[in-house]
Amino acid sequence: MIEFQNVMKRYQDGYEALQDVSFSMDRSEMAFLTGHSGAGKSTLLKLIMLMERTTKGHVTVGGQNLSQIPQRQIPYFRRHIGVVFQNHRLLYDRSVFDNVALPLEISGTNPREVGRRVRAALDKVGLLSKEKLTPIQLSGGEQQRVGIARAVVNKPPLLLADEPTGNLDPELSEEIMTLFSEFNQVGVTVLIASHDLALISHMKHRVIEINDGRMVSHA
Amino acid sequence: MRKQSNQPKKVNPTGANTAHKPNALNSYFSHHQKTYKSTFKQLIEQPLASFFTCAVIGIAFVLPALLAILLSNIQSVQHNWDGSAQITLFLKKGVPALDGGILSEKIAKRQSITSSLFVDNDAALVEFKERFELQDAVDYLDENPLPHVILVQPDKSLKSIQHIEQIKNNLLKFPEVEGALLDVMWVQRLNSITQVLQRTTWVIALMLGLAIILILGNTIRLAIENRKEEITVVKLVGGTNAFVRRPFLYMGAFYGFGGSLIAWILINLTLFMLNEPIQDLAHSYQSTFNLSGFSFESTLLLLILGMSLGWFGSWLAVRKHLDDIEPT
Ligand SMILES: Nc1ncnc2c1ncn2[C@@H]1O[C@H](COP(=O)(O)OP(=O)(O)OP(=O)(O)O)[C@@H](O)[C@H]1O
Ligand SMILES: [Mg+2]
Repeated sequence: MIEFQNVMKRYQDGYEALQDVSFSMDRSEMAFLTGHSGAGKSTLLKLIMLMERTTKGHVTVGGQNLSQIPQRQIPYFRRHIGVVFQNHRLLYDRSVFDNVALPLEISGTNPREVGRRVRAALDKVGLLSKEKLTPIQLSGGEQQRVGIARAVVNKPPLLLADEPTGNLDPELSEEIMTLFSEFNQVGVTVLIASHDLALISHMKHRVIEINDGRMVSHA
Repeated sequence: MRKQSNQPKKVNPTGANTAHKPNALNSYFSHHQKTYKSTFKQLIEQPLASFFTCAVIGIAFVLPALLAILLSNIQSVQHNWDGSAQITLFLKKGVPALDGGILSEKIAKRQSITSSLFVDNDAALVEFKERFELQDAVDYLDENPLPHVILVQPDKSLKSIQHIEQIKNNLLKFPEVEGALLDVMWVQRLNSITQVLQRTTWVIALMLGLAIILILGNTIRLAIENRKEEITVVKLVGGTNAFVRRPFLYMGAFYGFGGSLIAWILINLTLFMLNEPIQDLAHSYQSTFNLSGFSFESTLLLLILGMSLGWFGSWLAVRKHLDDIEPT
């Protein structure tokens, strides 16, 4: 599903955030991406969803070499990837329902279908009763779950998450990780960047570690 | 706008099914509907700011529109004129009436002349007396002070003042002719004034159109700034540039529409206020002249023009500012 071949990423200021990174993930696999702060975890995820482009090497997602995707095709590519952001990136002037509906609206889903799908996603994260509230009226954990619902509402085959439990208490963190496991069990490929080592070891999934932009282990 | 932009293209690396083809068109329209509704809601949620933007656009519309109305009124006056210019030839004192008649016939045979009429000075005096009721005054005169006159009608196809002027000068060469008067001057002058006015209207319309585009561009730029986060998120979850642009294009169209609506009101108010003095003026020339106002077609044109200009202005702004916003 994901393949990195000798990937190097140098930012515009000359800083090399990733150096010679190679690894691959199978379809329906779940893995954690760890490393110290500034190791290059977010950078790696950004390369997968084409928020950034590689400087050297190749990233292949679902058999498609990302360097061959032209700029104007990126939106269509992104519709196949669900992303959960550390700071939620919700729209605070819209209801929970509208936030989750956004990807469906963008991909031009039939309006009747939208309601059904949004409610299914909200049900999955346990927020069905709060669809009419705005994100401000929710707790941090609930906001994060809205973000997850938005990421999965399109039923993407690949789910990326950048520090999804960043500022949540351990119990909530475990709850959210369990949620990701459940998506993985129905065949979704899941890659989660996190430095919550205790939680990761607890989950018994594959761990990909990077240190100063280089691969440490890929078991 | 581009319809295909909403449908997923070939890039489908992960084999997901996000294409919902059967209702693609349906949902495309429903999205448009939703967009203009929510955009309209945004605008009326800030009534004062929206009104000011519309008012500025409206005022910029008024001047060229009024000039255009003035022009069309002048042109309708010109259309009512049948195109005939008249040259009046005054014959020298002592030229016998018979010679005058012969001269008149000679002139009428010329190619550039349609007709010519000899008016005997005695007949003219009689008419003068009757018309102005100056019977007594005229009776005191020893002799007829009026000269014989020949009224010459140049060919109607001759519109330019130079041509008619030339004919007049040629007619002056006859030894019997004392002087000549061309009574089309004012129509010709009006013609050239109209042309100047026409150009002025175009220049002003162009400049103010540009001003409208700039004003809108700035307004849209601010709107984009305000919604930067939203744009970023939309792009992150797969929104195309076309999708992101849409609400701003609607916003521009709404501003343009509101602006032309305000312009319409201002124009009609101005016409209403001008109507009376213009009637008075027309009366003093023994004329009945009605200021023709804003027809239904012109109203429609104004509204469509306003909307298109708004759409275009925001399209320019969006092109410049929006496509650059890339999520980081
Ligand atoms: N746009 C950028 N321009 C220049 N340098 C950048 C940019 N983004 C990230 N970096 C640098 O690249 C390095 C890796 O950043 P990245 O965000 O990938 O780290 P991370 O592993 O996600 O860290 P954290 O756990 O703190 O989120 C950091 O040193 C960062 O300063
Ligand atoms: Mg990070």
